[in-house]
Amino acid sequence: MKKRYLYMLLMPGLLFLTLFMIFPLAATVGSTLFQNGQFTFSHYTQFLTDAYFLEILGTTLLVSFMTTIICVAIGFPVAYYISKLPPRGKSILLALAIFPLLTSSVVRSFSWMIVLGKNGLINNALMGIGLIQEPLSILYTPTAMIIGLVHLFLPLILITLVGVMENINHDLVEAAQSLGASRFSAFRKIVVPLSIPGLIIGSILVFVGSLTAYTTPALLGGKQRVISTFLYQNAITLNDWNAASAIATMMMIITFVVIAIMNKAAAKFNPKG
Amino acid sequence: MALLQLDNISVAYDQQYILKDFNLSLEKGQLLSLLGPSGCGKTTTLRLIAGFLDAKDGSFRFEGKDYTRTPINKRNFGLVFQSYALFPHLSVYENVAFGLRIRKVKDDEIRKRVMKMLEIVSLHGFEDRFPGALSGGQKQRVAIARALVIEPDLLLFDEPLSNLDANLRVNMRVEIRRIQQELGITTVYVSHDQEECFSISDKVAVMNKGVIEQLDHPSVIFKYPKTEFVGRFIGFNNFITFTERQADGDAVLLTVNGLPFRAKKVPGMSAGMKGAIRPDDLLAGTENEISEGPNVLDGTVKVSTYLGRSYQYIVETALGEFTVNKEMLSPFENGQRIRLLVPPEKLVLVD
Ligand SMILES: Nc1ncnc2c1ncn2[C@@H]1O[C@H](COP(=O)(O)OP(=O)(O)O)[C@@H](O)[C@H]1O
Ligand SMILES: [Mg+2]
Repeated sequence: MKKRYLYMLLMPGLLFLTLFMIFPLAATVGSTLFQNGQFTFSHYTQFLTDAYFLEILGTTLLVSFMTTIICVAIGFPVAYYISKLPPRGKSILLALAIFPLLTSSVVRSFSWMIVLGKNGLINNALMGIGLIQEPLSILYTPTAMIIGLVHLFLPLILITLVGVMENINHDLVEAAQSLGASRFSAFRKIVVPLSIPGLIIGSILVFVGSLTAYTTPALLGGKQRVISTFLYQNAITLNDWNAASAIATMMMIITFVVIAIMNKAAAKFNPKG
Repeated sequence: MALLQLDNISVAYDQQYILKDFNLSLEKGQLLSLLGPSGCGKTTTLRLIAGFLDAKDGSFRFEGKDYTRTPINKRNFGLVFQSYALFPHLSVYENVAFGLRIRKVKDDEIRKRVMKMLEIVSLHGFEDRFPGALSGGQKQRVAIARALVIEPDLLLFDEPLSNLDANLRVNMRVEIRRIQQELGITTVYVSHDQEECFSISDKVAVMNKGVIEQLDHPSVIFKYPKTEFVGRFIGFNNFITFTERQADGDAVLLTVNGLPFRAKKVPGMSAGMKGAIRPDDLLAGTENEISEGPNVLDGTVKVSTYLGRSYQYIVETALGEFTVNKEMLSPFENGQRIRLLVPPEKLVLVD
């Protein structure tokens, strides 16, 4: 077969993507730039000057940021531990870590509601031992969202980090120790810098995932809106599709900016050679 | 007193002993090689000395102090790995400087020592390169510089040349020996290549299954292996198992199947009943060239191969097959009847 006919094999996929992704995206973005046939940025300026929207945007970014930081802080040591296990233990622990990904986020969020609510496990326990008199309000706050999202996305960062850490030659750590480094400083000077590519990819996945997550913030956030729930409200409840499209476009832009920044950072930290 | 002393060391993985009652001692400034086939416990011994492994039993003394429980990072030993183990995210300069930075040496002092060390390993001008942009030989030099710059009390090499090609291996081992002697640094060197070990060592320990079979100067081991294992490992391919042995002045008289043999007696010779001889030392000739008598075997050429400098023949005799090398213009033919002469001074008795 002639080589150029081989490209024909790409056609079904390309057609599918064009029809169902590129075209709708272009239509979405396009629709936000026109009002009554006139080119305008008014949809955006309207939002970006609205205090309520800015507060939602701020909460969303804060929640995503905190989720990412906590996932990294918990995930990094755990991933290092898993990566050093013999193959059998490693696959068992990885399977356990991935397990939450296999349950529906609705079920998971309801479980958190039971744990975090005014009559929930945590409040009952704390009041039972007399540490607090009044139940804490955790549910329906950004804190609850962060807890739910960390639970949701921790596996992602674990998988990417274990993948990178497994490939760090253990001789490097031993070499560092033989040169006088303690276990901790060998970890800090060798393992941490060599894990940065995985750390950045994992962080992108968690950050973008948190930014666009819907079910978890909707169920655990109560009245507290984030961008994705605000988008849903505009489109379905208020039936304002122009506003929804503008919000969607802004979400995409934020996502791209975050990925671009992280990629820059990755290029900077990436081990040479 | 010995600088390094391993006393009755045992190491076990999963209940299985890799080293048992292992003893070794080394004088200051010497280079000792551990030589042996893959899996005989060389790396285990080296890792024990380095501190990566704990001994189940026994003690390790260094400079008269008990080092058995001293952690790796307090031992001040330099290590060179087979995989080089250069830090890929650090430049050559920073790789070499690593140990000094840990020791909190001042920046200008670091600069002086790193540059001097790069000079010694002939890598001047490579400071800013990253390991990914170096050849195998250059990586190994960086690894050596990195281990040496901390002025270690002991230098440890684990098969440092086995990832290099043949020419480079020879150059690098000369280099390692030069640096080791220049700095007078006590060294333990692990390899499975006998030529490599013999060429650079003050002493060689030949290991088999976690036991040192012979520890001596390379030239002594080369001429007088003590056991059949050592003999085979260093190229004594021919063995004769004798049934009788008796002393006769400065010779030993031996018999097998009624065939008489003589061997020259040497101090410290084994009391074993096996004779070993190298293919190069065995003489081959036609029935006209070698006459019947003691130390002579009749045989038939079975296989002949060309080695470049000489021909190698597998010869079938009444005592089994023998391998013999001979330089000649027109080779023997397969099936030709020839005689083998075992020179008494080349026949070594082993356990
Ligand atoms: N981590 C380990 N767990 C179990 N057995 C091991 C381990 N490391 C080495 N061994 C065994 O110990 C023996 C000696 O290994 P090693 O010291 O690496 O030999 P060498 O370096 O001479 O090739 C081998 O039989 C090997 O299978
Ligand atoms: Mg080894």
